[in-house]
Amino acid sequence: MSADSPIAEIGETPLVPAHVTAAFVSDEVSRVTEQKAPVGWWMVFGVALMFLGVLLVSVGYLVWNGIGSWGNNSPAAWAWDITNFVWWIGIGHAGTLISAVLFLFRQKWRTSVNRFAEAMTIFAVICALLYPTIHVGRIWFLYWALPIPNQMGMWPNFKSPLLWDVFAVSTYFTVSLLFWFVGLIPDFATLRDRAKNVVRKKVYGALALGWRGSNRHWRHYERAYLILAALSTPLVLSVHSVVSFDFATSVMPGWHTTIFPPYFVAGAVFSGFAMVSTLMIICRQVYGLKDIMTMKHLELMNKIMLVTGSLVGYAYSMEFFIAWYSGNEYERYVFINRATGPYAWAYWTMVTCNVVSPQLFWWKRLRTSIPVMFAVSILINIGMWFERFVIIVTTLHRDYLPSSWGMFHPTLVDIGCYTGSLGLFFTLFSLFIRWLPMIAMFEVKAALPGAQPSHHAAHDEHAEPAHGALAVKEA
Amino acid sequence: MSTAGNKQETSSGKRLFWRSLEQKADPQAQHEEAKASDVVKQTISHDELFTLRRRNFLGLSGAMAALVGVEGCVRRPVENIMPYADMPEYINPGVPLHYATATQRNGEALGLVVTTFEGRPTKIEGNPDHPTSLGATDLLAQAGILELYDPERSHAPTHKGVAASFADFDAFVATKLAELQKNGGSGLRVLAQPTNSPTFVRMRAALLAKLPQARVHTYAPVSQSQVLESTRIAFGQPTSVLHDFSQAKVVVALDSDFMMTEPGSVRSARQFASARDMESASGTMNRLYAVEPLFSVTGSNADHRLRLPAQDIARYARALAAELISAHGVQLGAIAPAVQGVATDGIPEHWLKAVASDLAANTGRSLVVAGARQPAAVHALVHALNRALGNAGKTVTYGEALDPTEADNFASIAALASDMAAGKVDTLVILGGNPAHDAPADLHFGDALAKVGTSIHVSSHDEETAALTTWHLPRAHELETWGDLQASTGHYTVQQPMLAPLWGGRSDIEVLGQLAGEPAWRGHDLVQATVTGRGINGELAWRQLLHKGVAEQTFARVLGALEVRDGEVAGALRKLTDAPALSASNLEVVFAADAKMFDGRYANSTWLLELPDPQTRITWDNAALIGPSTAKELGLKSGDMVRLSKDGASVDIVTWVQPGQAPNSIGLTLGWGRKKAGSNGNGHGFDVYPLRTTAAPHFTAGVAVQKLGVTYPLSQVQEHDSMEGRPLAIDATLSEYKEKPNFPEFKSPDPQFAPLWKMQDYSKGNQWGMNVDLNTCNGCNACVIACQAENNVPVVGKEQVARGRSMHWFRIDRYYVGDNEDTPEVAFQPVGCQHCEEAPCENVCPVAATSHSPEGLNDIAYNRCIGTRYCMNNCPYKVRRFNFLNFNQDIPETLQMQKNPNVTVRFRGVVEKCTYCVQRIQKAKSTAKQEGRHWLRDGEVVSACQQVCPTQAITFGDINNPKSVVSTKRRTDRNYALLAEVGARPRTRFLGKIRNPNPEMKS
Repeated sequence: MSADSPIAEIGETPLVPAHVTAAFVSDEVSRVTEQKAPVGWWMVFGVALMFLGVLLVSVGYLVWNGIGSWGNNSPAAWAWDITNFVWWIGIGHAGTLISAVLFLFRQKWRTSVNRFAEAMTIFAVICALLYPTIHVGRIWFLYWALPIPNQMGMWPNFKSPLLWDVFAVSTYFTVSLLFWFVGLIPDFATLRDRAKNVVRKKVYGALALGWRGSNRHWRHYERAYLILAALSTPLVLSVHSVVSFDFATSVMPGWHTTIFPPYFVAGAVFSGFAMVSTLMIICRQVYGLKDIMTMKHLELMNKIMLVTGSLVGYAYSMEFFIAWYSGNEYERYVFINRATGPYAWAYWTMVTCNVVSPQLFWWKRLRTSIPVMFAVSILINIGMWFERFVIIVTTLHRDYLPSSWGMFHPTLVDIGCYTGSLGLFFTLFSLFIRWLPMIAMFEVKAALPGAQPSHHAAHDEHAEPAHGALAVKEA
Repeated sequence: MSTAGNKQETSSGKRLFWRSLEQKADPQAQHEEAKASDVVKQTISHDELFTLRRRNFLGLSGAMAALVGVEGCVRRPVENIMPYADMPEYINPGVPLHYATATQRNGEALGLVVTTFEGRPTKIEGNPDHPTSLGATDLLAQAGILELYDPERSHAPTHKGVAASFADFDAFVATKLAELQKNGGSGLRVLAQPTNSPTFVRMRAALLAKLPQARVHTYAPVSQSQVLESTRIAFGQPTSVLHDFSQAKVVVALDSDFMMTEPGSVRSARQFASARDMESASGTMNRLYAVEPLFSVTGSNADHRLRLPAQDIARYARALAAELISAHGVQLGAIAPAVQGVATDGIPEHWLKAVASDLAANTGRSLVVAGARQPAAVHALVHALNRALGNAGKTVTYGEALDPTEADNFASIAALASDMAAGKVDTLVILGGNPAHDAPADLHFGDALAKVGTSIHVSSHDEETAALTTWHLPRAHELETWGDLQASTGHYTVQQPMLAPLWGGRSDIEVLGQLAGEPAWRGHDLVQATVTGRGINGELAWRQLLHKGVAEQTFARVLGALEVRDGEVAGALRKLTDAPALSASNLEVVFAADAKMFDGRYANSTWLLELPDPQTRITWDNAALIGPSTAKELGLKSGDMVRLSKDGASVDIVTWVQPGQAPNSIGLTLGWGRKKAGSNGNGHGFDVYPLRTTAAPHFTAGVAVQKLGVTYPLSQVQEHDSMEGRPLAIDATLSEYKEKPNFPEFKSPDPQFAPLWKMQDYSKGNQWGMNVDLNTCNGCNACVIACQAENNVPVVGKEQVARGRSMHWFRIDRYYVGDNEDTPEVAFQPVGCQHCEEAPCENVCPVAATSHSPEGLNDIAYNRCIGTRYCMNNCPYKVRRFNFLNFNQDIPETLQMQKNPNVTVRFRGVVEKCTYCVQRIQKAKSTAKQEGRHWLRDGEVVSACQQVCPTQAITFGDINNPKSVVSTKRRTDRNYALLAEVGARPRTRFLGKIRNPNPEMKS
């Protein structure tokens, strides 16, 4: 069967309304980068820039004075730094998932979301990379963690999960960036062709890498995109699995569990979708892109959040079960302490946000309500931050020897570094919206009714055996 | 190093350069040489090299510009290494020299050996040849090295607050002496602290002989006055009391913290531990009963502890005596009627019956001791009891007291203060001490000082008293001057200077000698005269004395088992009045010497300020210690500010709810809340001296508590008291142990699983390991300071401690055991890096900064560490410390001199931890190599914590050598690995604690 056609029998409807044409898509998406920015954009950008300033000041202070500017201590040697790192990395998961995995699974609805999600991924990974960089005591020797040949023969410790992290995250960042850029090429060409002034022509022309939309270009593009999608699909699983190894391979009760890799991946997808949802709802509202980012898209995303949220909830309960079932008193204590100890408020915030709030999406009325989904997506963002906080701080603050138990209290610099990273993210995101096509125009066009040459043979699965998978893009 | 370290003053006040102790010892010859060198210097200084001409100016400007440019791009400071122009004998750069000396500590001399590098002392150890030290020291001795380098010690004499010179002072003394000699010294008073120095005693006598109208007063806030007074009552003469805990099977401690704050604690702790050291389940051990108001270190180690307000201890002592007489027929003669019919409220019956039968069953092998706080009558009764129980001459002996004047401690200062107030004192010389701060409050010593014509204060710091006196002279540190000390055992030590006074300064004996009109009043001459007077003649004998640190012969006459004057003792006991029972409205406060500040004299030491209190684990502050049930009754929580008041005097202090504190009794430790201690000590803690009066300097009832409604933040290094039922500091009773001697099976089995990585081969070479015996460790914290001194561990301050950033490499965890908050048992557990063979910290370091040495050490390369802190997270023992901030920034020059040159001073951003004193291992190996050995002797490497430990609870050595002490200890059945189930295979092992409860006490 042709992948782009709705299956009427199971109630599928077209992904875009009937009045949307190819020209409409180009106009709607390109005008955002061509016209003056609306007041809303300036407000978001202004606030984001302010928080970016907060980040610069906080990081400057931190590097000048030392890690003691944060609230980290012994036993909580890691706290908000790694919480923020894992949170951002998790958010950065939706991009690859939407771009690569959904692409391979022929989920056409991804077309209006993927550009957005990929950009978000890039920016989230930039924010994430900030933390392992600044959290080290001597940032000026950070390069020692890289395998750089040197005359002393000193290599990094390949047994260390932190080193695996370096490789996993940098690979992920590189592939995501490539993937994003390759996907942008045809749209850059559209912007170049529409450009009315020289600067735009030159800049977009350079970025478009000479794209002319020839058959050969399309064939190469399709092949490259498919390869990159295939490359990045395992990364969706590997990056957060490796991040979870930081914890899972340690000896700390509460960290040392085999459930972590799948649990972290589910959580990452969950938080990534929540963030995409949050951003989409805002952009859709600000730029009036309701015909391209339709309610159907949002509803599908909400369903994924419902699934991953429940997976995460399952992981939470399984951790408790294993803690009890293992008979390990240290493990047991960690979980009792999570639910009843001094950080119980964080634990129950996490459960409420991550497990309870997505359950609203069982009802169609709620999962198609913009205010409800916006509120839930924000709650999930909060809840997932607390999940990482709970995993890191409540594990560390009370471990084996009660003599060393302590509490973590954040400082102003902690708060500055966190809110500042949001500033960095939104600054980058605002710039992206302002200057780049936030929706993959050519991909949406491919999903338009009638865009496919095989459209009329929708019910004849054997009509075009030669086109195979690539046929979908030949619009 | 500053050249100041090599300077000394001649009598004319001129700076003098000396090259060796021998040379320095002869200041006259030195003076000649100094004159000669002055001539040379003058010729040089007039050399045109140093006159500023145009060419020189341009040259210098160019050089400076170049240097400024260099400064800008070089991260490390430029240091110039200057060779010796004239190499002093013995001094090799980097090779330490060790000198024997001694320190005075609360009425006892503690023998020391000081390590110096190029004339710069860096570390203090105990002198193994000295009987009160036996190679160990206490935490105050360890902190002595920091005190020496305290940059806030007085730098110069002041006269009426204006800087003066010693020459000015000498001129003043000369005229004053001439004046005094005319009237026989009338109006001259000297206030000194109790002394152990024979030279001091000699000079005091010389002064009084020369100026018969003068008077010498003796005062220290914490003294042995009541013990001396009790010997006067019981034996008719003041004597020293010398306990031998090693021979005692049963010890009853009546408000006596003999392991910590009583005199001779190092020796007592060693002896007590030796009677408790269990090689195997067939061994025997002593039993300690403690009856006390505060939860002392001694009480923490007791097999049975009864918390009783200080005022009720006398009642308990009498009731116990009565029980011994009536139930066991112990003969107390005329004392018997004086102890009969004492009320026993608050004293459980078995605490009399079982304790008495235990004592009676161990006659000649038991020991009753009382603390310095208790009245003389109690001590006298204790002497009588020890006599009657056959302990005198066996577990307790008496000796001639060197300074009997200490007996009059409080009376003496009271007499002085009243004379001062009456204007009878013309000249007052205060030798050490800080009476304006620590004299009993009712004497208003500070006010009385204003009525003294001329007051001279000789003290280490420009402290409270210094501000009120006419003259203030810097008092040289014990490591800077010549002196001598006699231990209570009669062993005699000469204190030798490790370096010339850093900022000038004189010792007590020098000032006293000057006043006594001694022509040769320099410390060296005075001490040599004393030595000669004691029959140690000749250069060789003198050198041997200095070398060994203790004289061959002893000087205190041993008096053996003295007859007790029953009648006098009974008379003293009858004078004891039973105070009304305590309640929430009639509270008692007990003044105790602080484990760290003592009486306040150590208040500016950052090491001591930051050291956690052994019991409360509070740093940088003291607190009013209140028992949980009393606190509940008063509605107080830890951290609440309260006002304690009695008779118009009041003290505002923070509350600490202290398990084990006696009901209705509040513990107050002295020495805190100083106003002029120095920038470190000022404002830390709360001054409790205002409540202390001559009438009741030790404890007093009738104190009212008022809650002030505000709280005060306290910084603890350990906030959780319970082991949460985990098998950490494992203990057992003696009978349990005998039944089932295999400790690892008690609860912490070794896991059986395949190793993650290829395991290192640990079967060859030296393999270092440590054992910590929880049975003998008494939690005194000396090891924590010793480690800090040895390993350049920084101090972080109160706020950083509260944030959980304490840097101590070696810590003593203190857990409370038992359900009742009022009567917990204590388990101490010293924890440093466990040097795991399968170290969890090593796998996770991304840059391999921490890794294993072939000798089983978990090494850390500070230079390689980038500070991810992952290793800290993954350490199950939480022993790794991180330099969260630059704790070593801007260290004053003198404090830099303290640093151990063999240990890196760490920059911010790196992780550090216990290294098993790897520098000492390397040193021993290097020595062995020089001696042509390819192997190390057992005991050749001694870690700093092991060396200082008074109870020898820590053993260290090669576990590959089956004959080493550490291997032997590892084979005992009490041996277990902490958190063995994690599978890290720690090299540090613990020997489980054994408690020896009396089965009869259960009733």
